[in-house]
Parts: sequence; C-alpha cells; structure tokens
Amino acid sequence: MRFMILVKADKNSEAGVLPDEKLLAEMGKFNEELLKAGVMLAGEGLHASAKGARVRFSGGKKTVIDGPFTEAKELVAGFWIWQVKSKQEAIDWLKRAPFQETEVEIRQIFEAEDFGPALTPELREQEERHRAEAERLAKGGKR
Amino acid sequence: MRFMMLMIPKGYEKAEPHALPSAELIAEMMRYNEALSNAGVLLSLDGLHPPSKATRLTFQSKKPTVVDGPFAETKEAVGGYWLIQVKSKEEAVEWARRCPAQNGDILELRQVQELSDFPPELLPT
Repeated sequence: MRFMILVKADKNSEAGVLPDEKLLAEMGKFNEELLKAGVMLAGEGLHASAKGARVRFSGGKKTVIDGPFTEAKELVAGFWIWQVKSKQEAIDWLKRAPFQETEVEIRQIFEAEDFGPALTPELREQEERHRAEAERLAKGGKR
Repeated sequence: MRFMMLMIPKGYEKAEPHALPSAELIAEMMRYNEALSNAGVLLSLDGLHPPSKATRLTFQSKKPTVVDGPFAETKEAVGGYWLIQVKSKEEAVEWARRCPAQNGDILELRQVQELSDFPPELLPT
C-alpha cells in the first residue's frame, strides 16, 4: 500500500529559509535508506506559500487569492510517497526521520480497487493511461 | 516549473474513514485528468483517504509522539493532489480554475523546489 507523508510548514519554511547543510545531509542520508529499502517512490519540497495561489470555488464563482496563506494553520512544506506493507511500517520509518520540531501526517493513498464499482472498467483503463503518460513525462519524456 | 495542486475539499477534515467521492464526481475528475494529460501537463496525481484514517507524528527534541486521526482541531484537509509541469504560475492558476471542484472546495497551488533553487555549496557532491 502507498502512503503520502505530508510534512507541515513552520515559520522557517514559510519565511523561505532553506534547510542548513547539516539537515540537508541528514535528510539525504535518510532518503538514501528509504530508496535502498524500496520504500520511497517520490519526495519533493515546496516553496513557501507566499509564492503560491489558491482558487476558491464558491457558488459557481472562482476566486483567486495569492499567497501567503497566513490564516491556514496546516500548510504543507513537503511530502514523500512511500510504498510499504502497513501503516505501522510507515510510522516506524517516519520515527527515524531527522526532524527537530515538525508535525508530519501519514495519509493512505487511494488505489483503483478502493473505489469499487464507481470506477468502471472504462474509467479504470483511462486512469491507467493517464498514469502511464504522466510517468513518461515525469521521466523527462516529450509532450 | 512544477506546481503541486492540492485539492482541499470542503468538509474533508470531518469525512468518515470510508468516505468516497460519488461516481459522477469521479467521472468528471477523469475528464479533467484527461485534459491535463492530453496537454502534457500532468506529472502525477493521487487521492488520499480521509484524515480519520491518518496518523500524525509530532517531533519535539527528536522524540516523536504518535496520534491517530481524526484530528478535532483541523480546519481543512488535503484530499488529493496533481503535480503539473507548466510555464508560469498563471498557467497553473488557469488549470486550477478549470477543475470541476465542488462548492466550497479550495485548490492550493504551490511551486515545487528544484535542485537549482538550492545554493550549490549546500548540495551533496
């Protein structure tokens, strides 16, 4: 099963402060262990919300709001996608992460079979096609 | 540049553990995904189970505490994401506006860090 590990923002990440060399090195080591164990499928850091935007859908209207989102209590600063056998395995891995003062959330990712009959064979085939095409592009394939 | 488009569905922070989107919404989202895919914009996408099935680890002086969901104090929760490759933030906003989102939903666009965003002296050789 796959899990998304959401690392929450803090004052530093929201201020655009980059991690120092020590933390980058520790994180690099941790990522290497995850990769070697075949656990890590993806991992990215996000720029501060000041560089982002929100689109709010309300009553048929779409309102665009530029960041920062100071009112949001739980902004995301980065994420991993892990392939593990259980949520407990994800918890055990995460306990080893070199964080100091951070909140991290483990969320299970939907797989096609989780949707039951709502995902018809046609939709499922379409979904698989999107994934294959996305994977090709993500690996640097041409549009 | 890459953007993460985070879907924050209205009320998802309170969703039951086995809540699923309706068949109509799934079909509409598939059409949107198809448009992203055909435009060569889509790099990856996933949907997330509700926070009531989640677990949080809070790190403080390196000893993490583990708490299972749901999380009463949470005001909004991510329900899924698209990772897209676009030329500008404006293009990302245009794609977000086209999403068949429901009344009260929020799409948050966040630029993804690239290696070139880090000073070279910080990167491992």
